[in-house]
Amino acid sequence: MTSAAIEVFLQTLIAGILLGGLYALIGLGMTLIMGVMKIINLAHGELMMVGMYIAYWMFVLFNIDPYLSVFIATPILFFLGIALQKFLINPVLKVDSILPENQVILTVGIGMVLANLATIFFKSDYRSTPVSYATNAFYLSDYWRDSPIELSLSVPWTVSFVLAVIITISLWFFLARTDTGKSIRATAQDTDAALLMGVNVKLMRVVTFGIGSGLVGAAGCLFLPIYYLFPSLGGQFTLIAFVITILGGLGSTIGAIIGGLILGVFESMTATYVGMGWAPVGRFVIFVVCLIFLPGGVASLLKRKKLGK
Amino acid sequence: MRRLSILLILVFMLGIFSSGIAAADTLNLSIPLPLTGSQAKFGEMEKKSYEIAAEEINAKGGIKGKKVVLEFEDSQGKPEISRSIAEKLIDVKKQPFIIGDYSSSCSKAIAAVAEERKTPYLVVTGAADDITQQNYKYVFRMNPSSAYYSSGLMSFLSEVVKPKTVAILYESSDFGTSGAKDMENQAAKTGMKVLVNEKYEKGAVDFKPVLSKLKATRPDVIYMVSYVMDAALLMKQIKELRIDAKLFAGGAAGFAIPEFIDNAKDAAEYVVTSTLWSSQVTYPGAKEYAEKYKKMNGDYPSYHGAEAYSALYILKDTLERAKSWSSEDIRTAMKATDMVTAFGPIKFEDKDGYQNQNFMDTLVLQVMNGVHQTIWPKKYATTKYNYPIPKWRDRK
Repeated sequence: MTSAAIEVFLQTLIAGILLGGLYALIGLGMTLIMGVMKIINLAHGELMMVGMYIAYWMFVLFNIDPYLSVFIATPILFFLGIALQKFLINPVLKVDSILPENQVILTVGIGMVLANLATIFFKSDYRSTPVSYATNAFYLSDYWRDSPIELSLSVPWTVSFVLAVIITISLWFFLARTDTGKSIRATAQDTDAALLMGVNVKLMRVVTFGIGSGLVGAAGCLFLPIYYLFPSLGGQFTLIAFVITILGGLGSTIGAIIGGLILGVFESMTATYVGMGWAPVGRFVIFVVCLIFLPGGVASLLKRKKLGK
Repeated sequence: MRRLSILLILVFMLGIFSSGIAAADTLNLSIPLPLTGSQAKFGEMEKKSYEIAAEEINAKGGIKGKKVVLEFEDSQGKPEISRSIAEKLIDVKKQPFIIGDYSSSCSKAIAAVAEERKTPYLVVTGAADDITQQNYKYVFRMNPSSAYYSSGLMSFLSEVVKPKTVAILYESSDFGTSGAKDMENQAAKTGMKVLVNEKYEKGAVDFKPVLSKLKATRPDVIYMVSYVMDAALLMKQIKELRIDAKLFAGGAAGFAIPEFIDNAKDAAEYVVTSTLWSSQVTYPGAKEYAEKYKKMNGDYPSYHGAEAYSALYILKDTLERAKSWSSEDIRTAMKATDMVTAFGPIKFEDKDGYQNQNFMDTLVLQVMNGVHQTIWPKKYATTKYNYPIPKWRDRK
């Protein structure tokens, strides 16, 4: 390989990992909800959109950096998630209906309402936060004068990635070490057993939905400096989260993280070596291949090798 | 209480009555536009421009003494909705002509309906080549087709930049595809080598993979056809990767409106774009319109606004010359149009495989200190172009 080819490869890999880290954070929230409640939350992308609007207005009105808005948007989304679960999804869970998955359909409706409310309030304008560091980057040649190749690392992308990793680690810590976290995991593994062990399953469901929403709200704040914002942006991210959830193996957190990274790298590689127009196709090739050959997702591989739980 | 209700009824009836009278000497005109959805930005701008034109026309006595009353139908940028709006206007509202809508796909959908129902349709902004290449008799287009969008830019390239290689990035829509195709043809004609020709799905988050591939091929010119947010994202990521081409060129649309500079910030500097119109052109009425628009909305309009504004004047001119306001007579009158609007000279010609197409000079803009300046052709230029452009490393 020539140095130019290596440069292209490394730059693509960097882009893929950065994107994958953010994808993983989007996927995590959906996976968590999937694991505990056994439903796919199809309003996931719209919740992210809400998070992004919160960060956007915080920046425009109070000049608060989108990264600091993580601490504002996450709690708001957490309580929004709790409210949605308590007043909309829980009542529907109790009703017998001809459709077995009527809660899933309900989440589609919630998503539509959110997207249309955003259109009414904020119009369908495209917006972005003109943060001052939006196009700053670190360059390899600045640190190593005569390097044969030039690589660049965008500042906002890197910050978003690092924050995503920190949020993911703290989530893992929460799930592994705290009582509430253990209860959530117990509910995800076996609802009846958890109930018999004295876990307040109902409360855990509510809390999980809140955490899932909070996570995706945080992801929205991290996306704002590198992307832009419009009311109907939710759909494409719901789709990404869905693919990651399947890829990771319905409900496995570690699976979702690995799934997100795989998807990010795969998309970037497709864009470089096949064609950018093919990147969305690549996404669904992975999806279908995973459904056919690895129905348990990454999690089932981990289990086989006795790596995860 | 009783008296109050009688009074109310009276007022109510008076309302109906007076609106009935008004209807007799007004010209109700429904215009399809994307007012919600991702193209709403442009729809909004066109709507305001139509309104400015209508107000001016009404202040001067309307069209043949009739007051113009505008209504807008939201096509959401979706061709199927545009189509049903066109059907409604023709079949239910019995409007003898149609003008408007924004995107190529929507204009194409309306054109098909208009031709089928033998109703003249004036395309205002839809630029895909094939709209006026289908032997349609009733479809007229005032804006140049996208094959001609870049004619100004091409002459700038061949006279100033003299590039040997070009890389093309385009959005996978009707507009993007036909713009890229055109650049390919032009490149073949002038002997430029196309190194990369890559399309993308709009809404993409990360262009860096494809951009780093493009960087490795070291093209002289990078030509991009995109709508506004993708355009800003592209330039930002080009800056991040420090891709030093001799010139960054945009194919109108997203690159030619002020929002591009607002969003891309310093990454937008030195970018050139072809465009059809700028607020500095010398056509009669252009400056007045641009200033009026700026006063109302705080920003100069892009060519889309000027097109909409002028479209209503073309319609006025046509309706005043038409023998009667039947579709057939309006078509004949429109075909004979020969006038200069704020947007430029308008004349519907059949040539080069086009029918009822207006041909005109296109301009080249360059971003200088955060403002679009006209740099080409020389007779319309407001300042001298900035070329060669500095490398990213040396900018600050």
